[in-house]
Amino acid sequence: MRIFSSNSLPVAVDTKTTLQGRIPGNSGIWVGIFCVLVEFFMLFCVYLVAKAHNPEAFLTGPNKLVTLAGTTITLLLLTSGYCMVKAVNAIRINKNQSALRWIIMAIVLGFGYPIVKYYEIRWNIDHGVHGEAGVFYTVYYYLTLNHLVHVCWGLLGLMWVAVHTGAGSYSSDNYSGLEAAALYWHTTDIIWLVIFPFFYILR
Amino acid sequence: MIGHAEKIWLVLIGLTFVGAALGETGHASWLLTMTVVSLIAFKGGIVIDYYMEMRSANQRMRNILRLFIILIPVLVILIHAWGDEFRQLTTLN
Repeated sequence: MRIFSSNSLPVAVDTKTTLQGRIPGNSGIWVGIFCVLVEFFMLFCVYLVAKAHNPEAFLTGPNKLVTLAGTTITLLLLTSGYCMVKAVNAIRINKNQSALRWIIMAIVLGFGYPIVKYYEIRWNIDHGVHGEAGVFYTVYYYLTLNHLVHVCWGLLGLMWVAVHTGAGSYSSDNYSGLEAAALYWHTTDIIWLVIFPFFYILR
Repeated sequence: MIGHAEKIWLVLIGLTFVGAALGETGHASWLLTMTVVSLIAFKGGIVIDYYMEMRSANQRMRNILRLFIILIPVLVILIHAWGDEFRQLTTLN
């Protein structure tokens, strides 16, 4: 998918040719990423089967959820992901302090997710939207809380690379750890980009 | 000056607001389903190609990621179109 002209570069790539065909991050993180994708693919299949068997519940279910909460989480994750793109860009030109600032911003925005989720769940429970309120809400809680767990792993990873960036462990020659954390963080973005419309938009 | 990263971010944010606005209409229709699944595939593709930089990375890995973000919308369309048949297929008797 190209949304810019053919001679434009990817967001955080210095030169197209030097990175052609490479494996970003490290091999280990890709094992984790593909495991997460398989796990959520199975969970999305559960959602689709439940929807096919309970079309009425999935037609009316989103009406009781707070779209603003889902939208806010999407904005937080996408903006946090943008910060990690900038952090990887900065470390590639040996701007460690700049990279650290971007990582900290990504962490702060990332922590907005569990905070919004907490208030969303409180609002839900106050309005009778709990795990046993119907099959739609059971699937909703199962998928969103599962995603929240993965976001927490991602946040721990970001804090880890923040400490290492602050300690000067990364440079333009060695930043695979930072890039790996960023890749995992973007994977949680991708998963949420499916969860958000599934529960807040689609009828 | 707005760089590529900022343009990508703005596109993603703009499309998120479009999706949220669609959610507020509260209607179930083919148009909504097609628009929403297109947004999933398009936004996912942008994250894969530009945030994760897979456009210039190993193409096999990029294709696996893109398969994930395309297969799910396809399944949504199939179930929207053949919900009854899918229900029968997934019923244990």
